[in-house]
Amino acid sequence: MKTKKIVRLLCLFCIALMSISCVKDLDFDQVEDVVLTPIFEVDFIFSRFETDEFVDPGIDPSIVIPEVVVRDTLDYDLLATDFIVDNLEQIELTFEFRNTIQRAFEFDFGFLNDADQIVGPAFSFTAAAGNGPGTEPVITTEVIVLDSATIDVLGGARRLISSIRVQNVNSGLEGVLELRSKGTYFINYEL
Amino acid sequence: MRAVLVLCFIFWGSHIYSQNKETLYDFNDLPQSLMLNPGAKVGFKKHIGIPFLSQIHLNAGFRGASLFDVFGDDGRDINEKIETTLNTLTSNDYVTLTQQLEIANFGWESKRNEDVYFSAGIYQELDVIGFFPKDFAVLAYQGNRDFINVPFRFSTINASGELLMVYHFGYNKRVNKKFTFGARAKLYSSIIHARSARNTGTFTTVETPQGRNIYQHIVSNADVELRTSGYASLRDLEEETGSDQVKNAVNKLIGRALLGGNLGVGVDVGFTHNINDQLSVTGSVNDLGVVFYTNDVETYRARGNYIFEGFETPIQFSGEESQNFIDELEEAIPLDTLSNTYVNMRPMKLNGSIRYSFNQYDDGRCYYCIEGEDPPYLDAVGFQVFTQFRPNRPQYAASLFYYKRLFHFLRTKVTYTVDDFSPYNLGFLVSTHINKFNFYLSANNVFEYTNLAKARGASVQLGFNIIM
Repeated sequence: MKTKKIVRLLCLFCIALMSISCVKDLDFDQVEDVVLTPIFEVDFIFSRFETDEFVDPGIDPSIVIPEVVVRDTLDYDLLATDFIVDNLEQIELTFEFRNTIQRAFEFDFGFLNDADQIVGPAFSFTAAAGNGPGTEPVITTEVIVLDSATIDVLGGARRLISSIRVQNVNSGLEGVLELRSKGTYFINYEL
Repeated sequence: MRAVLVLCFIFWGSHIYSQNKETLYDFNDLPQSLMLNPGAKVGFKKHIGIPFLSQIHLNAGFRGASLFDVFGDDGRDINEKIETTLNTLTSNDYVTLTQQLEIANFGWESKRNEDVYFSAGIYQELDVIGFFPKDFAVLAYQGNRDFINVPFRFSTINASGELLMVYHFGYNKRVNKKFTFGARAKLYSSIIHARSARNTGTFTTVETPQGRNIYQHIVSNADVELRTSGYASLRDLEEETGSDQVKNAVNKLIGRALLGGNLGVGVDVGFTHNINDQLSVTGSVNDLGVVFYTNDVETYRARGNYIFEGFETPIQFSGEESQNFIDELEEAIPLDTLSNTYVNMRPMKLNGSIRYSFNQYDDGRCYYCIEGEDPPYLDAVGFQVFTQFRPNRPQYAASLFYYKRLFHFLRTKVTYTVDDFSPYNLGFLVSTHINKFNFYLSANNVFEYTNLAKARGASVQLGFNIIM
């Protein structure tokens, strides 16, 4: 009789323990509100030119070449994944030119799709002329912002096309033009 | 993704503890104490656990934060709470989950020598530990912009998990009134195992004012490895469809449980030394063993160095093919799939205790004299220590306990434990002995049961035995 009572008491105790053990004041629906907003900084493109890459140093310095253009294309499909297109809110591209050549350079770039047609906007800016070899380089900084609508369009990009153009050069011109750039990628990823 | 995140936080937050069973250790009324110390004092002649019910053990926890820290309904924005939690946690914080189920457990006194007690059985164990990958969690959550020149360390990636069956046979010998020792041989059959530990290398975005570009993104001396066994063949089953797939997977798992998995051997040893009638010291080593992973092994390993500086364009007169970033990366840090066999230590555990018994039962009727035994002590107090060896570093715990035999049929133990998870962890064990039938229930972190959400860990054991 006494034993039964004890067993009952024990059962009660166990039930009591289970009933007081609970998970209170939690709201798992908050998961819906979780947003990951990391910001990544990644190198974009870079380049370095000395004047002898534009003009053969052997040419008579009195001959002026009206315009030299360097064009290049590069496979580039980093914007083509669904994750990027869906969750990239903004890209800031920062370009930095350092120039000691006494000429201004025009820099253009844009993106091509599978069919080699331009997609999205084309960008163009001018690197200011430098003060000649041995001087402090003249720095030109440009920032372009790609919003999410532009990023959607650039989802179709497969190649990057760029060019540098300089006018009225001769073999007497000396100095270096450097281009450095980075992309700042603002992700907004809702779970 | 969402489910994984919720599960992670549930694991981290809702429960806690290592494999410490502080209430069961040195609780000699129960045959399960022999599983923690094969050299425990045995006070019975035979025992048989009710199959599948003799010990159900669940032990989980998170060091560093609780479920409430992130999911608390306190009006704060969850992103703010995640960020706060992320900043609080370090790569020494971890989540652990251990679950054990005794399938069979039985024992008997030797017919030739009543000082010798044999015990044997089979149990299944799931053991998971994941250290918080702090650096890469920060990288994923905040990005690298605020961490220029700060290395993200691959060594913060550290986790292991295993599901296995253990077949065991134990020998317990009372040498004399003062000394008892024992050993248990174990045969492990690993069903599935994965482990990533001792990774090295860093990923750093370095500012390079004089460099070719604004930054260098440097992967330096990377050596990251994930060892698996028992996984590759299950993955291959994915190609099959419907009920065949399930049937084959189940057959495979059962086969591995029945000694068809990767086998290992191990031993538990332990002793009890009675300094005098009332004072005793015990110690044990559990799972001193290794598992040899030779079947169905796949190791994924990425090693190398890589520097990314962006794309060089426009360029002229180079004559070289334009660079392909992905190809270059794969070449510099190739991901190899190896099938090398490997050996892994089981997570070894050490237990020790000192115990002072008092309040000897004496109702003047000499009930125990018939058996030729001394009357039992009704109370005991003592101190226990526990250590478990883990991939990163050992876990420690220390407990004070009070044992009370309330009636012949009701024995209890209360423990106060300080460990990685909490400085005020109260545990209890209640064991009923009605005739030969025994039921026991034990839990720790009792204070936290009123709201498990705020708990950083909990452990529960319960089971049924017939003890003669």
